[in-house]
Amino acid sequence: MRLLIVATLVTIILAIISLFIGVSDVSLGALLSSSAEDRPMQVLLISRIPRTLAIILAGASMAIAGLVMQMIVRNRFVEPSTAGTTESASLGFLVVTIFAPGWPLMAKMLVAALFALGGTALFLRILRAVPLRDVLLVPLVGIMLGGIIGAVTTFFAYRFELMASMLAWTMGDFSGVLRGRYELLWIGLFCAVLAYIAADRFTVAGMGRDFTTNLGLNYQRVMVLGLVIVSLVSAVVLVSVGSIPFLGLIVPNLVSLMVGDNMRRTVPWVAVMGAGFVLACDILGRVIRAPYEIPISVVVGVIGSAIFLVLLLRTRRHAA
Amino acid sequence: MKHITRTPAIVAALLAGAFSLTAMTASAQDKVIIHAQGETTISGVPAKVLTSDWAAFDNLHALGVPVAGVPASNAPGYLKDFVAADAIQIGSLFEPDFEGIAASEADLYIVGARSRDAYGTAKDILPTVDMSIDNSAIIAGVQGNITKYGEIFGLEDKAAELNATLDAKIAEVKAAAEGKGTALVLVTNAGNVGVYGPDSRVAWIHNELAIPSVMENVDDGDHGGDTVSFEFILERNPDWLFVVDRDAGVGSEGAAASLLDNELVNQTSAAKQGHIVYLDPQAAYITMHGYSGIMLLLDQVLAGLKA
Repeated sequence: MRLLIVATLVTIILAIISLFIGVSDVSLGALLSSSAEDRPMQVLLISRIPRTLAIILAGASMAIAGLVMQMIVRNRFVEPSTAGTTESASLGFLVVTIFAPGWPLMAKMLVAALFALGGTALFLRILRAVPLRDVLLVPLVGIMLGGIIGAVTTFFAYRFELMASMLAWTMGDFSGVLRGRYELLWIGLFCAVLAYIAADRFTVAGMGRDFTTNLGLNYQRVMVLGLVIVSLVSAVVLVSVGSIPFLGLIVPNLVSLMVGDNMRRTVPWVAVMGAGFVLACDILGRVIRAPYEIPISVVVGVIGSAIFLVLLLRTRRHAA
Repeated sequence: MKHITRTPAIVAALLAGAFSLTAMTASAQDKVIIHAQGETTISGVPAKVLTSDWAAFDNLHALGVPVAGVPASNAPGYLKDFVAADAIQIGSLFEPDFEGIAASEADLYIVGARSRDAYGTAKDILPTVDMSIDNSAIIAGVQGNITKYGEIFGLEDKAAELNATLDAKIAEVKAAAEGKGTALVLVTNAGNVGVYGPDSRVAWIHNELAIPSVMENVDDGDHGGDTVSFEFILERNPDWLFVVDRDAGVGSEGAAASLLDNELVNQTSAAKQGHIVYLDPQAAYITMHGYSGIMLLLDQVLAGLKA
């Protein structure tokens, strides 16, 4: 518990740093000496606070989506981007962009979420047909499924000359976040809270269908709830900022190493560390090449894969 | 008398013979074309021409040269109607269909920019030239290419005419831009904004039209430019914004316009004065090395500056 408070404090400090990093001059002094009409205050309200909130919401909810997914699939190497969920959401967003470009963002997001739901359900259906539930086979199946869905998406994007747009969507990037352009991410927070409330059920479901049914829980319903949470979060994050690779993989795994697998205990950890990790990466992305930015998906990709490798090698050494 | 009447006839016959002889040597004469990847020899005026580059198509169309084979995709909107109905399609911009090219028995094949890597394979199949040009000197490159096409197809006068029109247009836009302040070229893409600098494919706005950039030493990539935040645009505060909307495939300029219509960009002097010019995205991004593409862009810049 004390450790969790420390982690939360670190995340809050990162959030404060995030508020003061950017092209415009927004220092504490400038803020205190300026009125609400001046530029520092304007930039803070229009750009910095929304961006920091978007990072926290996206980071926390993506990490939790990864955790929920790992529980319901019972595999540590699964997360939305290794199960075809993100790719399905992209396909949905592409379809709605081609056929109904004028729809409001909320409607587009819902279509993306429905596709994500369908893609994830298909993944689970395929898993049931895979005879060997090898630990590495499951994410491989997911990555292959994602590859197929991604290929379909690429085909249509190519046909409709939307390749560059597709690339930019799937590339996570907070540079476009402003007041009025990130609010969908609050849905992610709602899903995270839902995951916390249902945490015990997911923990039980993580033990398997028979075990769950024996405890008097409706296994199917828990699975559907998990799928809806994962799909909604993936769609919301994809539509608002793009996909953030590895996040749902690294954070839950790190947390699991530290505090175990009881989801009621791990959800707050995963949320705080997800937010903190993305905050740190986005700050880096803004600082390295200032005044230009390096997209979050690139920074997370580089740092995330390094952390993941360390995790893999360490667990192997412990096992040996 | 016979003598006298016959002499002019003989002279005439000789002359005619000499003429036909020179005409024959001219048609059979080999021309050496120096281009971006070496030298290519062609004999006579090529009748059947293929290209994997829309800019090359653009230039040939401007000269009035029919093109028998074009890329299968990405025809810019402003060129679509000029592609012959019976033109054969020779693969994508990046990967030409070499079998189709070999089967076509064409006289000349032109590659450029995206298709330049095809040169190595294509040159062994049929006479091939690479008309790629450097983005840092687009106008000179386009004019150089037009001159070269003029020589290849014996249309030197038409080429000179096109180049003169282009020069005049540049001078006109340059005059209109003088003293109008600084500019920033943006590319918008699915909610993100990238900036373009002096070595990019839209650098001609700064280099050729002498509109100063608000940035110094931009280290930009050739593609989407460097990602920036809206704060960046606000702080650099350009007098003009030239926007390339990469989302335009979906339709209209709505995507970029609504993206840039926000509380930060609206505070820049460009936005306040209505100085946001949307450039034809295909001309600015895909075929900026073609005559009518560059003329289209120059007209758009001019219309924006005068508005």
